Amino acid sequence: MSDQPHGAPGTAGGLIGRRLPGRQDRRLLQGRGRYVDDIKAPAALHATVLRSPVAHGHIVSFDASAAVADGRVHLVLDPAEIARLTEPIPVTWQLPGQHLSQVSLAVQTVRYIGQPIGLIVADSRAAAEDAAELVVVDIDPLPAVTSVPAALADGGPLLYPECGSNIAGQIHFGDPVDDLEQIMATAPHVVERTLGVQRINHSPMEPRGILADWTAATEQLTVWSSTQSPHVVRQELAAVLRLRVDQIRVVAPDIGGSFGGKVTLQVDEALVCLAATILGRQVKWIEDRFENLTAAYQGRGQQARARLALGSGGRFLALHADITGDLGAFAIQAGSGPFQVTGLALEGPYRYDRAGATVRAVYTNMVPTGAYRGYGMQEASWIRERLIDEAARELGMDGLDLRLRNIVGPGDMPYTTHTQLTYDGGDYAAALRRAAALAREHCGASAGQVSRGAAATACVEITGFAPSALLEMFHIDWSGWEAGRLRVNQDGTVTAFAGVIPVGQGIETTLAQIVADRLRIPIGWVAIQLGDTDVTPYSDLSSQASRSLTLAGGALVQAADRMRDRMHALASRFLGADPADVSLDSVAGTDASPDKAVFRAAGTEQTVTWRDVAHRGWKGWGRSGSDQIQLEETVEFDPPAITFSYSSHGAAVAVDRETGKVAVTGYWSVNDSGILVNPLIAEGQITGGIAQGIGIALLEEARYDADTAAPLATAYRDYVLPTERDVPPVTIEHRCTPSAHIPGGFRGLGEGGAIPPPATIAGAIADAIPQIAHSLTSTPMTPARIWAALDAAARPGRQAGREHAAGDAPR
Amino acid sequence: MTITDITITVNGAVRQAPAEARTVLSDYLRHTVGLTGTHVGCEQGMCGSCTVLLDGAPVRSCLLLAVQADGHEIETVEGLADGAQLSPLQQAMLEEHGLQCGFCTPGVLMSLTHAQREGLTEQEATSLLGGHLCRCTGYGGIRAAIARLWRDREVTE
Repeated sequence: MSDQPHGAPGTAGGLIGRRLPGRQDRRLLQGRGRYVDDIKAPAALHATVLRSPVAHGHIVSFDASAAVADGRVHLVLDPAEIARLTEPIPVTWQLPGQHLSQVSLAVQTVRYIGQPIGLIVADSRAAAEDAAELVVVDIDPLPAVTSVPAALADGGPLLYPECGSNIAGQIHFGDPVDDLEQIMATAPHVVERTLGVQRINHSPMEPRGILADWTAATEQLTVWSSTQSPHVVRQELAAVLRLRVDQIRVVAPDIGGSFGGKVTLQVDEALVCLAATILGRQVKWIEDRFENLTAAYQGRGQQARARLALGSGGRFLALHADITGDLGAFAIQAGSGPFQVTGLALEGPYRYDRAGATVRAVYTNMVPTGAYRGYGMQEASWIRERLIDEAARELGMDGLDLRLRNIVGPGDMPYTTHTQLTYDGGDYAAALRRAAALAREHCGASAGQVSRGAAATACVEITGFAPSALLEMFHIDWSGWEAGRLRVNQDGTVTAFAGVIPVGQGIETTLAQIVADRLRIPIGWVAIQLGDTDVTPYSDLSSQASRSLTLAGGALVQAADRMRDRMHALASRFLGADPADVSLDSVAGTDASPDKAVFRAAGTEQTVTWRDVAHRGWKGWGRSGSDQIQLEETVEFDPPAITFSYSSHGAAVAVDRETGKVAVTGYWSVNDSGILVNPLIAEGQITGGIAQGIGIALLEEARYDADTAAPLATAYRDYVLPTERDVPPVTIEHRCTPSAHIPGGFRGLGEGGAIPPPATIAGAIADAIPQIAHSLTSTPMTPARIWAALDAAARPGRQAGREHAAGDAPR
Repeated sequence: MTITDITITVNGAVRQAPAEARTVLSDYLRHTVGLTGTHVGCEQGMCGSCTVLLDGAPVRSCLLLAVQADGHEIETVEGLADGAQLSPLQQAMLEEHGLQCGFCTPGVLMSLTHAQREGLTEQEATSLLGGHLCRCTGYGGIRAAIARLWRDREVTE
């Protein structure tokens, strides 16, 4: 492992493309992390959240008198007090016609089990939990909506009777429905399926947590939060608590994973901050795993009736999906966003004569849903690739051939989809051929009760979600730009600031590589500061949507280039030399101090160190009249367009026909994320994403009781995360098409690994056992579901595709 | 509520402090002893983040009461490195990107430290990962770290 800053590979300072270990890793490996619950706060009080035990009903009474009488209890917040002291949390991304445009903290009607209705603050967590046992809440129950079909059923219960239905809103993307219907009615072949993706719990290994500190003297609130969006949390808190934004500082310390589950202020977190302002004390709340699995916002949850029309030779004539998303009890920050992205991204890397998607979202009596890694694009992949595989099977064609006949070619670039996404380059067909070849080569032969199969799918992924004008066009109340700020300090060291957050994706390492590379200085001089609203540039989306490296990196490339020019100009002036004759010597090693780097004027003995240039620069010496003094550069980067990554994934599976158990025996990703700053970290991101995709495909589901809407996955024995045995060795091959939109040529890759696995694995199962291919319509493809499909296929008289009836038994 | 003074040797240092009978060992280590490297991921004994060594054997510290550790020896992640010098296992995890967010990592390190001491094979050590949930890495980097460590060990032996 070389950490030499200069020389090949890459450009400039030679740090791009190096497999450097994570900058935080040495510390984390020694147990010196600083997650929220690790922050020393001996005087803090501890909160526990009172939650609704029923899925739907009116709160009749709330009696906390016994809890208040407990000497260890400092505060009980009840629904009336919460209503008096708070405003709702604003939301960001709505559907046309959406009835609810904010999340109310004040609850008179509960709408899911686990919904926060109160808070207890006591000397210790144990004391708070003791006191919670003493609160008596009487709720007059109402019938619950326990599924998407139930939400749409005539005469069923309504969450918001004033709306007249459970439909929150609807939107259509792409070609008009009439055009699509016309093709569907006349096409030689139409394949139609109802395809579902389950609710997913993000399961960061660190649950959510808050430490809130109200300083009464100065009326300042400091919040340490396990969040991936501190600026957003600050804004939302200010709205809720009726404070000015500048009265609040939000700090994200070490974050133990997020995956979309920590992008917004949740109601329980807001209550903890409210308690701190009332008590004038530090109040801490650390979510436990039961709460995380049952009451934290979830991801996914949608069903689609989808059709693909094909013409002669397998030409894709039209694609349409009617998508219904499960919002849960109310629409959170960007609640319908993932469903809308499914519609926008439905087409993937293929051409169609016509394409479109109709998206609606419904309310159900379950936990609200929102972002999860892959954000609608995994669901789009599931719909599209399952339809293509089924079309190939019905037409007697090879799935790879059918894909290659319709794939967008390099000559088609830039290619604009029917939903107006413009792909910016790449060779999708080459990646698909390679992934398919790898999977087929390693598939192995079926034997005994084990059937083996292989498949490959293609994917194109929205990364670097921006520009701001695009978000405005979609009426999304976020900005898309990112700022990079860079300072050469008085001693010559360098500090770079960005609005993105380290959540395990190694962003502090890759940003340091970029800055050091562009400044041509040792990486050891560069510190990266993230995750503090008082210090870092404003950012709405922060580390979401595979945008940290592309956008913050793109901004810092430009800031560093400007700073390099300024340092060079200052050095030239100090040397009294023509800038063209001045050069900066390279410095070996990461530990050399900033006075070891020397600017040299050609043909003279004169030198000045990097450190001296910085020192004199801050004195205001050697500048011409209008020059800036402070050695700081801030670049606001709002890219011209979305930049797209693409990949093809291949999977090989072994299906045990006796038990229905599917083992993924091999997995391949051929991935193009443009210029890779750190392949070691990139491969870690892709592999980790694939593991989460395998979880969706085979294992994970946040299930609810069909009568009571009680969450059934309450511990890791019921909510099954992938273990080491479930994730095969993953082989990753990189292709590189630098992005023309992003300085540095980067494309995103945080989510890409998680998108294609479910469809790819389903294709491989279908290849192994074609008799059950038609029934592979919903994830997770558990042993029970696969076994039921096998059983149905073995009984010719039985209706095909009824896998749900027998397949929903607990694993 | 019963409060007992208990004595535990943690990473070689004798620590004496009171514990409520119901206090679990993970909370005691984190909040009473002040060693926050041991992480609490589920409090249900399922995720493995809180794994420590009790008299040399890996245990879930969220499933033990602190009073059960009275008079025993505990090793935590803070005891693995020799000053700034990482243990070979920590070094292998660093070089193979065996961690991302780092939350599950201390538990993984304790189980694998045990595997090394017991002379388990690479395959046996890898199978111990079945007792640890990692949401970030997909286990690829951890497997690579184990492979590197066991390969290096063969070379030096």
